[in-house]
Amino acid sequence: MTRERRLHLAALAVAGLGICVAGYLTYVHYAGLEPFCAGGGHGCERVQSSSYAKLGGIPVAVLGLGGYLAIATALLAPGERARLAAAALAVVGAGFSGYLTYLELFVIDAICQWCVASAVLLTLLAVLTAWRFVLLE
Amino acid sequence: MSSRQEQKAQARAEREARERAAAHSDRRRTRLLQLGAVVGVAAVVVVVLVLVLVLGGKDKPNASGGAAVAGVSDTRAMLQGIAQNGTSLGDPKAPLVLTEFADLQCPFCGAYATGVLPQIIERYVRTGKLRLELRLRRFLGTDSDVAGRAAQAAATRDRMWNFVDLFYRNQGTENTGYVTDAFLERIARAAGVPPSLVVKGATTGAAFERPLQQAEAEAQAAGQTSTPAFLIGPKGGQGKVLTVERLDIGAFTAAIDPELK
Repeated sequence: MTRERRLHLAALAVAGLGICVAGYLTYVHYAGLEPFCAGGGHGCERVQSSSYAKLGGIPVAVLGLGGYLAIATALLAPGERARLAAAALAVVGAGFSGYLTYLELFVIDAICQWCVASAVLLTLLAVLTAWRFVLLE
Repeated sequence: MSSRQEQKAQARAEREARERAAAHSDRRRTRLLQLGAVVGVAAVVVVVLVLVLVLGGKDKPNASGGAAVAGVSDTRAMLQGIAQNGTSLGDPKAPLVLTEFADLQCPFCGAYATGVLPQIIERYVRTGKLRLELRLRRFLGTDSDVAGRAAQAAATRDRMWNFVDLFYRNQGTENTGYVTDAFLERIARAAGVPPSLVVKGATTGAAFERPLQQAEAEAQAAGQTSTPAFLIGPKGGQGKVLTVERLDIGAFTAAIDPELK
């Protein structure tokens, strides 16, 4: 298996995990449930019910789900532009989730494990998709 | 002859290999430049998203209420990083406990919360010397009753102090019916508590009656007939009535400092 192929599969797997995480947060948002937080605590609920949980009236969880789906679509599409689009979406997602993590730590004063997981996944996706684009033959 | 042809073929192959390597290098350089441009554009997009979030997330009117919630950043700054556990604020191991009896409609309680409490927190709670306990009473009227249950609901999420502080900062005129579902939703959202939990707790929260009844019994046992009133004592002890002449930090430090010696 080529390095390009390994990067492609790894990026698809990470995007799949991201869809699961964002999908779960979207589900609990609309079902009115408290997100499961390992080790107890209400960090996830605090973050999800904070005034920063929506962007232009749209829940950030929904934006995240849309972002992951767009990245997965770009990963499945052929061509140089699709690779560039996947990298661009992942870099925007990683940057924005970095800001959201800052908000959790220093403004909301609560940590949502699901959001941190998503930030890690998006950072991984940004690295994998950028690397794959540069390796393009 | 054959040797010359071989030399030509070899030279051509070498030239083509060099051209391929150069083209490959050019393509990679172009892609790195494209990637750099993507990162630049991504940075701009992220800044725009952050601006939308910041401008939309700060003390702004929201759909459920209409009016802005005042003091969100002040409350956040005052309580950030301090442990909350139900009705407690501060280190559970703190040697001294200050218990306050308050009514959320009481303007003097509001004055104490915004004028004196931030200094007490900074001086004694953040340093681990003092733990605060809040006991809510509701003798001023129906709005106190609803507000008390709502605050107890916030306590189940260890966010009572945020809720109460924001409530005071947005306090209305006593018994004018201002403690509506919309008002509670706004305060809850700003305090980081699910609005539905607070509204449900305020209207049908029989479970939140018990801590309010206990607070009332505790206040009566201590002979307290007005708010705000205070008890001070060592951790795990009964606490004695703390009488302050006026609601300023000097009156409190004069009473607290000797207890810490």
